[in-house]
Formats: sequence, C-alpha cells, structure tokens
Amino acid sequence: MADPMHQFQVEKLFDLPTVNLPLVGAIDLSITNSSLAMAVAAGLVMLFFTFVTANPKVVPGRLQVVGEGVFSFIDDLAVSIIGKEGRAFFPFVFTLFLFILAMNFLGLFLVFTATSQLAVTVTFGLMTIGLVVVVGLFRNGLGFFKLFLPSGVPWYLWWLVVPIEVISFVLRPVTLALRLFGNMLGGHVALKVFAGFVISLGALAAGGGLGLLAIPAAILSLGGVVALTALEFLVAFLQAFVFAVLTCVYLNDAVHAGHH
Amino acid sequence: MTAETQSTSGTTESTEAEGHGGGGLPQLRFEQWGGQIFWLLIIFAVLYLALSRIFTPRLRGVIDERARTISEAVETARTVQAEALDQARTAEAELAEARARSQRVAAEARAKSVAESAERGAVEDAKVAERVAAAEAEIRKARDAAMGNVSGIAQDITAAIVAKLTGAPASAAEIKAALAGREGTR
Repeated sequence: MADPMHQFQVEKLFDLPTVNLPLVGAIDLSITNSSLAMAVAAGLVMLFFTFVTANPKVVPGRLQVVGEGVFSFIDDLAVSIIGKEGRAFFPFVFTLFLFILAMNFLGLFLVFTATSQLAVTVTFGLMTIGLVVVVGLFRNGLGFFKLFLPSGVPWYLWWLVVPIEVISFVLRPVTLALRLFGNMLGGHVALKVFAGFVISLGALAAGGGLGLLAIPAAILSLGGVVALTALEFLVAFLQAFVFAVLTCVYLNDAVHAGHH
Repeated sequence: MTAETQSTSGTTESTEAEGHGGGGLPQLRFEQWGGQIFWLLIIFAVLYLALSRIFTPRLRGVIDERARTISEAVETARTVQAEALDQARTAEAELAEARARSQRVAAEARAKSVAESAERGAVEDAKVAERVAAAEAEIRKARDAAMGNVSGIAQDITAAIVAKLTGAPASAAEIKAALAGREGTR
C-alpha cells in the first residue's frame, strides 16, 4: 500500500539558489510542488475574476452572478462582524478566503494540497494575528491592551483573568493554523487510506479462491472514498469560511478594543 | 493516483529516505519552510494587490451601479404612479362636476318648459273662457228673446182662447194679470 503521508512530501521541481538570511538562516527558493500549487490556486482565482469582471453588466450573466455572490458573501460577513470599518479589511479577508478555498479545492483535484502544509497555515495564522496587533495598536494605542482586561471584571480577579486572556490571545494564531492544517491533513490521509484499501483488497480478490471474499470490502471502501470526497469538498469550503470568519472576529476585537 | 505516486516514489527515493528518517510528518521538515513561506508571501501579496486594486473596485462599481439603477427605476415608477393617481383623481372630479352641471341644466330646462307650457295653457284657457262667456251671453240673450216671444204667444193664445170660449175678448191687462198670477203660482 502506498504511503498515505507521501502526498504531503514537498519536492523540488525547479532549482533556484539558496539564500542565507542573517536571522532566519538558509532559505531554499527552489520552486516546489507546494509553491506551484499556491501559484496555480492564486492564478485560478485571478483568472476567474478576470472573466467575471471582463464585461460586467447591470443585469449579470451566470458567471457574474457567481463572482458577485462570492464577493457579497465575504463583504456582508466583514461588515456584519466588524461593522462599517469592515470595508477597510475586506480585501484582506477576501484574499485570505479565496486563496485558502482555491488551495483546498486544488488539493481535491490535483495531487498536492498546499493548505495541508504546516508552514502555509502557520504563515496565514501569523499574518492574521500580526494584522490584528498592528491594527489594534494603530487604532487604539495602548488602549489595545484593554483587550486583556474585559470590562466588568472586579480588580481582585485581575490576576486570574488577565493571564487567561493573554493566553487565549496568543493561542489564536496557533488554533487558526492547526485547525486548517489538521482538517486538510486528516481528510487527505483518510481519503488515501480508503483508496489504498480498494487497491489492496482488489489485489487480494484477483488472487482468486478465498480472496474473492474481499470484493464486498473493496466495494465498501470505494463507497467510503466517494462519500469522503463529498465530505472533503464541504470541509474545503467550511475551513476557508471558518478562517475568514475568525479573521473578522479577531479584527473586530482589534478595531473595537475599548468596548470589549 | 496510486500509479502516479508509485512512479514518483521511484525517482525521489533519496529525498524520501531523508525525509522519513524520523518517521515524522513531512510537514515538520523545517528546512522546507523557508521556501514555502517565501513563495506564499509573494503569491499572497500578488493576489491581494490584484483583488484589492482591480477586482474589488470593479465588482463594487457594478454592484453600486445596479443598486443605483434599481433605486432610480423604483423612484421613477413611484413618481409615475403618483402622477397617474393624481390624473385619475382630477378626471374623477371633472366627471363629477360635469354630471352635476348636466343635472342642473336638465332641471333648468325642465322647469322652463313647465313654466312655458303653464303660461301657454293659461292663455289658451283665457281665450276659451272668453269664447265660452260670449257663447253663454248669446245663449242667454236668445233664451230671453225666446222667453219674451213665449209670453207674447201665450197672451195671443190666451186672448184667442178666451175670445173663442166666452165670445167676448178679454182686455190685454186682464190676460197679463192672469198669466202673471199663473206664473207666480208655479
């Protein structure tokens, strides 16, 4: 049976020089299947919106309805969670959502899933929380730290509440990164394992004799793969959506840090 | 898919052996993080710029334009409807006024014709009454004359009868008195 973890292997496709950065260390800039998947995902998103907005009409065509639907979906999300200021963060949330969604879906059609790479999800998590911190400090100054001190907490409980709030804030990027990573990893491993069952049970049946008993199990596994694939499409959308929603929620905290 | 992975696993035997040395997740090979993060940031930046500078304004423009078109159309429809309602009300008022005027004219005409016919009737009546009065006067005159003749005839007859019966003619005064007495008793 093929190694179910093999699909997460990052492989070089095109060699580029390794750069040594002072603090970070050596960075291999080679094009890999991971960076190719990212580029294809981003390219597909841009291609889609190029077609959508190529000839925009007041009475939209089918493609334009889909594009505007996605647009309004995230726009409404940002505005309903963050409020009027949500418009300013809309491009960031929109990019995040579309990029993650495209990479999730690509993983279901191609071999490589960029969002199942911890490096990718951690970067997304840090980007989001970095934006939250920058926006929070820029908008509220030191008032941003009121985030760690919810109003209405009596002073004698501060020693308990403040560390909890700080820890929960620090864990936000971690949960953002691990949730997406775990969902993508688990889904694709399960798919691969069930698909592997179909092959190995089929090989058993091909041997004839008692091995023919493996055929129902192989069919069951095939059904499992089909069902899991459908589920994975749902998960692919849901994880992109959850990431976008949580980004909005955290940005809302940063914008309205004073009245938490 | 399995055929594909098997074919690649042959060519990447060395990297796999290296990567699976610890048996851990391929995702935890930190020497590969730098390149992935580098490309991710660049691609994200490109996508962000494309979406925020090109596609978002375009889509927002279309959506705003649609909202404007719809609100304008609704506004126009509302104005037209109000106008139509106004005209309908005016027409109704005009109709009511016209009806009232026609009723008034009809009533006036009726009253006028009634008065005229009454006047004409009165004139005719007067003419007829006059002619009737003249006729009655004539009749009375004729009757009086006839009555006068009757008394003369009665005197003559009486005188003749008296003369025949008595052989002596009675005087005119006597006959007259007798006739008057007879008339008086009647």
